[in-house]
Amino acid sequence: MTVAADPLPVKRRMRVSRKALPYLLSLPALLVCIGILIPFFTAVWYSLQRYRLSQPWNRGMNWGENYIDFLTDPSFWNTLKVSLLYAGLTVTFQLILGLAIALLLQKRTRLNNLISIMLLMPLMTAPALAALMFKLMTNPNFGILSYFAQSIGFTDFRWGASPDTALFTVILVDIWVYTPFIMILLLAGLRSLPTQPFEAAALDGVPRFQQFWRITLPMLTPHILTASLFRLLESIQQFDIIYAMTQGGPGDTLMVFQVEAYLNFFQSTNVGRSAALLIILWAITFFLSNIFIKNWLRLRERARGGV
Amino acid sequence: MEHTSALERVLRGAALSAVVLFFMFPIFWIVLMSFQTNETILRSPPSMVFEPTLSNYVALITGRLETQAGSLDIDFMRNLMNSVILSVSSVALALVLGVPAAYAFARHKFRGSEDIAFTLLSFRFAPPLLVLLPLTLYFQQIGLADTYVGLVWVYQLICLPLILWIVRGYFEDISPDVEHAYRIAGHGWGATFMKIALPLAGPGIAAAGLLAFIFAWNNFIFALVLASADKQPVTVGALAFVTASGIQYGQIAAAVVLSIAPTLALALYAQRYLVEGLSLGAVKG
Amino acid sequence: MSGLTISNLTKRYKSDTVLDDISLEIAEGETLVLFGPSGAGKTVLLRCIAGAVDPEAGTIAIGGTDMTDVPPEGRGVGMAFQNFALFPHMTAFDNIASPLTARRFGREKIRSGVEAVAKLLKIDHVLSHAPKALSNGQKQRTALARALAAQPKMLLLDDPLRNVDAKLRFEMRLELPRLLSEQGATVIYVTQDYKEAMALADKIAVLVEGRIIQMGTPEDIYLRPADIRIAEQFGDPAINLLEVTPERDAQGNFVSLSKKRVELGPGYDSAVGRPCILGVRPEAIGFSGGAEAIEVTIEAETPFNEKTVTLATTKGGREILISRPAGTPAPASGTAGIDIDASAAVLFDQETGRRIEPGSDKTRARDAA
Repeated sequence: MTVAADPLPVKRRMRVSRKALPYLLSLPALLVCIGILIPFFTAVWYSLQRYRLSQPWNRGMNWGENYIDFLTDPSFWNTLKVSLLYAGLTVTFQLILGLAIALLLQKRTRLNNLISIMLLMPLMTAPALAALMFKLMTNPNFGILSYFAQSIGFTDFRWGASPDTALFTVILVDIWVYTPFIMILLLAGLRSLPTQPFEAAALDGVPRFQQFWRITLPMLTPHILTASLFRLLESIQQFDIIYAMTQGGPGDTLMVFQVEAYLNFFQSTNVGRSAALLIILWAITFFLSNIFIKNWLRLRERARGGV
Repeated sequence: MEHTSALERVLRGAALSAVVLFFMFPIFWIVLMSFQTNETILRSPPSMVFEPTLSNYVALITGRLETQAGSLDIDFMRNLMNSVILSVSSVALALVLGVPAAYAFARHKFRGSEDIAFTLLSFRFAPPLLVLLPLTLYFQQIGLADTYVGLVWVYQLICLPLILWIVRGYFEDISPDVEHAYRIAGHGWGATFMKIALPLAGPGIAAAGLLAFIFAWNNFIFALVLASADKQPVTVGALAFVTASGIQYGQIAAAVVLSIAPTLALALYAQRYLVEGLSLGAVKG
Repeated sequence: MSGLTISNLTKRYKSDTVLDDISLEIAEGETLVLFGPSGAGKTVLLRCIAGAVDPEAGTIAIGGTDMTDVPPEGRGVGMAFQNFALFPHMTAFDNIASPLTARRFGREKIRSGVEAVAKLLKIDHVLSHAPKALSNGQKQRTALARALAAQPKMLLLDDPLRNVDAKLRFEMRLELPRLLSEQGATVIYVTQDYKEAMALADKIAVLVEGRIIQMGTPEDIYLRPADIRIAEQFGDPAINLLEVTPERDAQGNFVSLSKKRVELGPGYDSAVGRPCILGVRPEAIGFSGGAEAIEVTIEAETPFNEKTVTLATTKGGREILISRPAGTPAPASGTAGIDIDASAAVLFDQETGRRIEPGSDKTRARDAA
């Protein structure tokens, strides 16, 4: 061989600096972390104060008073009720619908793949804009949905404008936007299932309906759990759709946590109450997200291990 | 292998048609509407037959709307521009901050690494207003209120966890031996990162960037709270436009179409990676 | 001069001690084979030497220079990985060139260097291919070429023949010794295959559970294994292990097998009366018609190319493997007599598994007392 054995210059570096490298690389992420944690603790601090932007002279600690007031505050209980109702209903419908569509599309045919790609479009539409689209579609003067409702006999169906139907309307938008999310996660899950159990069941003559309950559903549980928890976490904090559609109205029909907190802050300038509301919402999401992250990690481990 | 009866095939076809109709119709209808004048929009019963017009788009793009009552200024193009500025710079910053961190988290299990990664992840699921409301007050004090810089910083709340967790997964997929081999060959860690890790994770990084862009573009609440009219992106701007223009439904529809078109196009382009991205790397498509 | 000196090297993963106080030294230009079962720590040790893994304690010196704190790129070693670890986005040429570009050689020098080593390994016709387009054997040669390209003073080869097919493994086993000696580098070669170890090694270090349990020449390891586990690993067909209890009478030390006397050497006084295991290589057993022969029943015969292996059972039900060169006459089927060459047998303590050294100082001291 012709290459001379040139020695590499021996680079001597301290063990310390080699150890510091990963810290250095993640420093920016750490800074963002701190940038999140500071306002978070500030919010905790505000929630323990009597603090209205309009009455700066009246500001002071009142410790848990904001929270204690909630116990006797009907509008708080309304907020809690509406938020849970909204989250529960949207996730339930989306799960049933998403699972059904995923099962319909399970086979890898070209048509099925095309449809599953088409269904991504609602999911990629900004929720606020989706609400705006439905607002146009439910416009009493020219909205196509209003026209349909009328032509099948609902002459006085006022969609988001009436307290009776407002919840239905925003849930419809939520379903339109987010069902594809559950659908594509479950579809990926379905398509990754091993085929042997199904072949064995088919050989044993197990009817397909029973295959679904006994094999598909149990094996898909991690995906179902992860997808619905993910949705539950976002749904309980829904703001964009509701705010864009009705701003929490009519009246207090749709005053979910974040809408109520937003209006408390910017309209009533009641910083203390707004912060306390958000802390309660945070506690709920924190509880849910811990369960979620555990499931999600397990699924992630499996996906990575399957490479 | 399966024997499907004719009835089953018909039912399946009907169900799929209903699904496609439900999810596609709103987009279809808005697109139709954007090519109509107010008169054809307001016809009853509604009809698919009309003479298409580009006047709505022209009005939006020129920024002037001529009506019988006079002319009206529309700032929608500025909103579109803001969306581009905010999304592009947020993603760029998130990539610069997130990719090295993702690499560090994937390759070196060091003290505190998981804590940082999980804090970022858990705040991905915390109510955004919880962080936003105190920030509005801080931003006013430090002069970041209503600035692109301030907004881009806050947008990291969406972009960074996404990039960090997805890209981390792609780095973890690269065999550490490949990197070791390059270093043993005599290259420093910096060269190894640039020549081995980055190119091999490249497609994943690009996909994560596209997704982060989509989420940044679609964000509503951050800009609603922190931006005034001249910094607002399309999501907030379109809503304000409805209030301002009142009954110019054709223009509203055209504005919606222009606002959702970029994300839909990107989504179709990156659809192969969407499943993995949407589940933050937990499910492979 | 010392090619590699490792002192008190320890590596832990959490509470697992993967390398436990390893010390060894190899002279420059020697080939050391690290042999041991999977999970013994061979690969980790290799990575510590390469700098890909940081040890918790201990030092590593290559060619007399302390490299413990030097990052991998500064150690000037070449390494071939078991899974090849080729750069998937680079051509075979660029893969092999990577140690040369790191040394900032000129374009011409890089080209000639790559072509020379590629020619040597017979892959010069696939240099423009991506790793994906290479066969397993070509990948393996590319990985080897990359390790050799810069003519490093120290070569680390991590079971490079593990993932290639049998034919190629056979070819490479013939080719490698010449190739390595031409390089003149100090070589550390990891393998789980004893034939590879015997064929390549100047010295073999046997690693079990993070410790070196024996280090010596191939002959040493084969004839005088320090441990029953080593004896089991070396040799095909495997060594016969027979449970015995040595006895002593006026004529000396012996063990009885099927009531026949098999002489032990004089140094085994300490073993008398202790439960032991007698290790006899199949080729140290011969068929014989003599009166002292042990009677066995022939169960099966397996012919190999160069030898024939017979499985037989004694009256007591012990299974014994007997190997004889191919072409030598077969014993009559049914029963036959066998002779054991006691001088080639080794004795292990049943409890500890360690070999009992004949005539060690300790026994002599006790004899004197």
